[in-house]
Amino acid sequence: MEKQLNENICEEHLFSSIFNKYAKDLHNFLYYKYGDLLNPKDKVQEAFIKLWENCAKVTPEKAKSFVFTTANNLMLNEVAHQKVVLKHQQTKPKTHTNENPEFLMQESEYNDKLQKALTNLTDAQRVAFMMNRIEGKRFKEIAELLDISTKAVEKRIYGALAKLRKDIKEL
Amino acid sequence: MNREELISKWLDNNLNDQEFKAFKNLEDYDDLVKLNTHLQNFKANNYNTSKQLEDVLFAIKTKKQKPSHWVKPLMRVAAILAVCFSIYYFATTLDTKITTEYAQKTTIKLPDASSVSLNAKTYLAFNKKKWKHEREINLDGEAFFKVAKGSSFKVKTTLGTVTVYGTQFNVKQRENYFEVICYEGLVGVTYRDQETKLKPGDSYLIIDGKVIAKDKENRTMPSWLNNTSIFKSLPYKTIVAEFERQYNVDITLIDIDSEQLFTGSFAHDNMDLAIKSITLPLRATYSKTNNTITIKGE
Repeated sequence: MEKQLNENICEEHLFSSIFNKYAKDLHNFLYYKYGDLLNPKDKVQEAFIKLWENCAKVTPEKAKSFVFTTANNLMLNEVAHQKVVLKHQQTKPKTHTNENPEFLMQESEYNDKLQKALTNLTDAQRVAFMMNRIEGKRFKEIAELLDISTKAVEKRIYGALAKLRKDIKEL
Repeated sequence: MNREELISKWLDNNLNDQEFKAFKNLEDYDDLVKLNTHLQNFKANNYNTSKQLEDVLFAIKTKKQKPSHWVKPLMRVAAILAVCFSIYYFATTLDTKITTEYAQKTTIKLPDASSVSLNAKTYLAFNKKKWKHEREINLDGEAFFKVAKGSSFKVKTTLGTVTVYGTQFNVKQRENYFEVICYEGLVGVTYRDQETKLKPGDSYLIIDGKVIAKDKENRTMPSWLNNTSIFKSLPYKTIVAEFERQYNVDITLIDIDSEQLFTGSFAHDNMDLAIKSITLPLRATYSKTNNTITIKGE
């Protein structure tokens, strides 16, 4: 711990390791929170460039929250709070073989409903839920990323699930 | 274990075999699995970490060379210098202006060895910067010039331009009155695009637009430099106007023809004597109240 404090992010290898550790999570966080329209990839880049510029001031332990906060602020600067629309991936996993037309239609209807329902979630709910369901992250990991308690993550995810199911049923 | 707990554990991928069986038996198991499967369609775009890292490192390296830290202050310094320089330039290229008030005389040195003596109530302007290339003076009033040798020397007045070819001369330009007397060397007077050259002792006089011939001048410098005004056959109003300028008074004429010619002189340092010198020859009387003198004819 003592040694780490003296370490400097300005060293390229350390910076790279921080990037490798958090960039993907940060990107997914931004994506699930703000959707694809505002280019989460660019924001990740910008945030890390800012981290480099401030590398003398930011300790390695603070780096994660620094880039998350910075990227989030960068996003907020652009958001004129548009509704978040998560893009539906065009390539569907071929898990079903019984693809008769009626089934396909049902599928597509269900997807539309799901998309709308996801839009209606709060940002916090959606981020936690998607990270858990899609990225397969455990509650604890999400809690660490978002700097909140595990209990809060569980609450958000469970709440999101309940809301989604309710919305899908109603739509 | 109740349903809620099971779902929560499932969400956290934390079910053991026994619990998983119980979870499977839940009535909404199918529903949940369906939702979960479809959710996968909303996965974020693939994020290629190493490719992105390369981009970031590249951006950092190119950015680092941007010398923003010294360009900005330098621009500021440059801006300040530019402002200072323009103020300096503006201030130094302005014309130098000299004016004399009533009853005030002054002598100034021009940028070369030339000198000018200004009579009362006279305005003179010249440009120091341009002096080397072009010796030019704007004059409104009366002044005596001692011009040093050099290129042509011009005195511009609203009535005419005097060009000097090195010498001493007097220019007097008052309302409707323009007089040039050459004391030494050669002077050219341009009036209505016509140049007249004056030799020492020659004078050139225009009153109310008419050229008036004058006798040879015998003095070597204008009389006003010796604090006396001398007039030879000039309209009386000219004398009165000069008197007003020298003593800063207002003169009112009663029963006196201001156009009549007058020959005489008055001193600049004794008003009582001076007023007598210009009234006695006409056998006029005068009275003085404050700054007003009334001259009354017979």
